[in-house]
Amino acid sequence: MAKEKLVKGYITPAGLKVQGPPHLRKPKSQLTAFNFVNGLLFIIVCLIIIIPIWKVLIDSLDLTTGYGMKILPTKFGLDGYISIFSNQSLLRPLWVSIYTTVTGTFLGLMLCTMGAYVLIQWDMPFRTTLANILLFTMIFSGGMIPSYLVMRGLGLTDNPLGPILLPAINVYNLVLMRNFFEGVPKSLFESADLDGCSPMGAFFRIALPLSKAALASIGLMFAVAYWNDYTNFKLYITNRSLYNFQMKLRDMIQSSDLPESVGAATENTIRNACIITAILPFMILYPFLQKYFVKGINIGAVKE
Amino acid sequence: MTSVASSRAVRAKKKPLLQRMGKYWGFYLMFIPVLVFVAVFHYAPMFGIRYAFYSWKVIGDPKWVGLANFEKLFKQSQFSVAFTNTIVFSVVKLLLNTGLAVVISLFLNEMVSLKFKKLSQTVIYLPHFMSWVVTASVFSLLLSPSDSGLVNQVLLKLGVIKESVYYLADKNHWRTWYYIINIWRETGWQTIIFMATLTGIDPGIYEAAAIDGAGRWKKMWYVTLPALGNTIITVLILNLAKIMNLFESVFVLQNDSVKRATNVLQTYVYYQTFNAGASADYGYTTAVGLFRSLVGLALMLICNFASKKVRGRGIV
Repeated sequence: MAKEKLVKGYITPAGLKVQGPPHLRKPKSQLTAFNFVNGLLFIIVCLIIIIPIWKVLIDSLDLTTGYGMKILPTKFGLDGYISIFSNQSLLRPLWVSIYTTVTGTFLGLMLCTMGAYVLIQWDMPFRTTLANILLFTMIFSGGMIPSYLVMRGLGLTDNPLGPILLPAINVYNLVLMRNFFEGVPKSLFESADLDGCSPMGAFFRIALPLSKAALASIGLMFAVAYWNDYTNFKLYITNRSLYNFQMKLRDMIQSSDLPESVGAATENTIRNACIITAILPFMILYPFLQKYFVKGINIGAVKE
Repeated sequence: MTSVASSRAVRAKKKPLLQRMGKYWGFYLMFIPVLVFVAVFHYAPMFGIRYAFYSWKVIGDPKWVGLANFEKLFKQSQFSVAFTNTIVFSVVKLLLNTGLAVVISLFLNEMVSLKFKKLSQTVIYLPHFMSWVVTASVFSLLLSPSDSGLVNQVLLKLGVIKESVYYLADKNHWRTWYYIINIWRETGWQTIIFMATLTGIDPGIYEAAAIDGAGRWKKMWYVTLPALGNTIITVLILNLAKIMNLFESVFVLQNDSVKRATNVLQTYVYYQTFNAGASADYGYTTAVGLFRSLVGLALMLICNFASKKVRGRGIV
């Protein structure tokens, strides 16, 4: 009888079941009422997030015209996607998005790391002045119209370079990068200096290799911002052949400016397929990259 | 005493400024591209602020008008609507998002199954990475009054509404859905910062609370929530400083039938400049922009002061 009371415990190597002291005891049951309700709550929360995206996904694969509520496509077909990828007017914006993202991210990272590297040189004269010049732009700006006039004056409106150059300088990301660099031990730079390493050399051989995680985080932030950029294109680009995919998508949703459909794709199918195309590259990479995003925001915001 | 004196002497013998700067010439060189970008894209527009005192039609040259633009601005009812909307939209959305993010973090923190917790986090962070255009597109299809609009279909089936409603074309519905869409997109992402704080709580406090006889709810109420207090204030301050920047989320959800009622300052500036044809006045819209920047600056300084009081460091 007494032995049976000990059943809810640990099994010793000798095969005896022993109940440990209270603080070592396993939690009694995993499925209490609270845990059940809590789990249910998050299933609902996740469904709320997923359903709108799921609805778009199945509509993009559905070739019927009668819609409404459904969980799976009633008439499956890839014609929506085929219409997109066989149409020049949609492939071009996609290409614009890709090259803007790649070149912009590269340029943004370059400015960011170089600026941050200079700002951690504690003994450098005018270091604080330089930092303040950057920080001031975070609290005051000329505004939309003066920016537009400057861009127009420089010939950067209706110029593919405009939406690449303008977002490349991001003071917030630069400050994040500086926070990462501050974590690199100073003695490393000092010994490099003693060994005759130039500032540039120390930048490429010490600062950058030691902050790969930061480069990934901030690079991803830049990439997402460039890929998702709509405001800068809306303000500075009016020539349709320079539109990126977000601009094109917006046009298609607002008007009936749709590409010719291929096969049985309906207007609705193509619209939905376009939305999915706009988020697909990210959706595929996201599960693998999530930790870098989380790391980035935590360094930036919660640093106490 | 002597050591102090000698160290002072050493400090006094600091090399001259130029010599010290010379040591860093490579770094100054590295900083030039950054300075050029900041000068062109941030400081050059600041000099354009002078046009707030000019009248500058699309065709023609700038003409000095003094404070006329500001007089016009405060008389426009559209401007005051846009200004109120900017404040109301941002503050309501900030409070809703932060409040819900705290609640979700509290419950996420209680989750026993680690796998399910990770999965939930992955899912709720997801919408943050969709652009506003995509978000607006998804919801305009979802809320569409046609028979492909899921929301209308569900509500019709349930008998809540008698006939399809065009939610985004009615200004009252628009506001509600604006907040809902913002919650859908941003709340999950906001939990990150709270979750980071929660993982930092000393488990000893929970044990002590358990010994004192606190149950799960009491622990959540008396231990977890107070631990979040500082973070909540930080989040509110940081976001309050940026509320005048509201633009893209409103802009992409607007359509012609709700434009006037839902404008915020930035969208007002945009339409007045780029959709007004020949009557557009760069001077007037620059003045609106300047007003926005100044309110933004004031908010930033207030929040910076509050931040220094609350957590001992500023926000910039």
